[in-house]
Amino acid sequence: MNYFSTVVSLLRDRQVFLEEIHEGVKLKSKISALMISSFCFFAICGAIIGMFHSPLQALASAIKLPALYLITLLVCLPTLYIFNALFGSKKTIAQHFTYLLTAVCVIAVLLCAFAPVTLFFLITVNDYSFFLLMNVIIFSLTGILGISFLYQMMKPIADGDGAKVRTSILRFWLCLYGFVGTQLGWTLRPFFGSPGDFELFRPREGSFFSGVWTALINLLT
Amino acid sequence: MRSDLADLKISDRELERLTGCDVGDIFIGGVFGGTYRISALQNPKKLVAFCLTEAVVFLLIIVFTLPLSLFLTSGANGVTDASSILRFLFVAVGIAIALLLAWNLYMKWQGKHLRSLMRLLDEVDRYEEMLSAIAVLDRLETVNIERNLNSALQNRAEILEAIHLTRDNLIAGLTTEKILRENRGLLARQQDLLTSIETNLSLVRSLEVKHQADEYGQFLNEALQIGISVHQEVQRLN
Repeated sequence: MNYFSTVVSLLRDRQVFLEEIHEGVKLKSKISALMISSFCFFAICGAIIGMFHSPLQALASAIKLPALYLITLLVCLPTLYIFNALFGSKKTIAQHFTYLLTAVCVIAVLLCAFAPVTLFFLITVNDYSFFLLMNVIIFSLTGILGISFLYQMMKPIADGDGAKVRTSILRFWLCLYGFVGTQLGWTLRPFFGSPGDFELFRPREGSFFSGVWTALINLLT
Repeated sequence: MRSDLADLKISDRELERLTGCDVGDIFIGGVFGGTYRISALQNPKKLVAFCLTEAVVFLLIIVFTLPLSLFLTSGANGVTDASSILRFLFVAVGIAIALLLAWNLYMKWQGKHLRSLMRLLDEVDRYEEMLSAIAVLDRLETVNIERNLNSALQNRAEILEAIHLTRDNLIAGLTTEKILRENRGLLARQQDLLTSIETNLSLVRSLEVKHQADEYGQFLNEALQIGISVHQEVQRLN
């Protein structure tokens, strides 16, 4: 399958790859290849973090981790496209989708690059809190890098009022992406599987933010 | 590959412009929303790649329908015990199988409208294979020259001319197919292109008769076969 060669061309000739998206060259092939590759990379990382608990959790996380990134992207795509189109962007929805998938694929590749490290600590360390914290750091780091990549890629080049507004829209959208992502992550949890019995999905209790708030209150009282 | 031969290649970008479709080895128009090429299923290597793609798409459907499956099975109570996990799996896999079937039926339906394009694309593949074979021959010729052996390079210009005509035929065929697919009824343009193909074809045929005994004769014959296939395909579009 040559889907992964698209990712290789993204990593090697990023400028050419982005120019092709800008010109609308082979967009459908790029979308297919980026989505399939991202899924595979996320599934590998999900399986590794799930292995800390059990093989069943590994299987569940291999599906849930791609779901977290790809569904968040799909949920937030119309907002970015419609707002950009409203303020003068000439790019099509397929181009927007390809840009976003490119950023998500970069995150997936970066996560996969950390996979041997995660695997090493999975084998050598038997401390849930350490493993959790280490992965939170890895996920945050790759997320920040991926999002800064997306920001650089999609930031309007031309000056003018429309471009300034679109840059603000992009910043707002990145916050929205994080907001939706955290809530979806909260809904799909557990990803790591805390010690105890296997759970596919935990009962839905409020939102990610109410959960953080409750945890803070509990910590302070 | 020499530059004159490389210039005769039909690039991906050009193919996309000519057909109006994103053409790949296995799919036309990408995996999602496109269709598969029938010839890809006859090649064992491509068939394996197609089956693997089907498996990944099945998993992707499960991924994208995860919130729906969760909503349908558990409500807000979570999926924690064995019975609710089994119920969830039943719903998730059921939805995924139904959507996978729908996706395959859609590809089959889409493929019916692109039969002519698929046949022309197979000819483009044959044409590319022919270019590769000539490139290999060119390399062998270089070795022969270094060893002061006889070479048949004097026929090369005519071969390139035949390939050039074949390329024109392919482009004319692809353009006709695209025009008819997008705007059914523009017959005047189609007739012009058909005439152009016929003229090119007779030129290739005359070259082939001249060089039947040469080792390049088989390439001329191949070029002629591609030209005839394109001509037949365009006539079938009438």
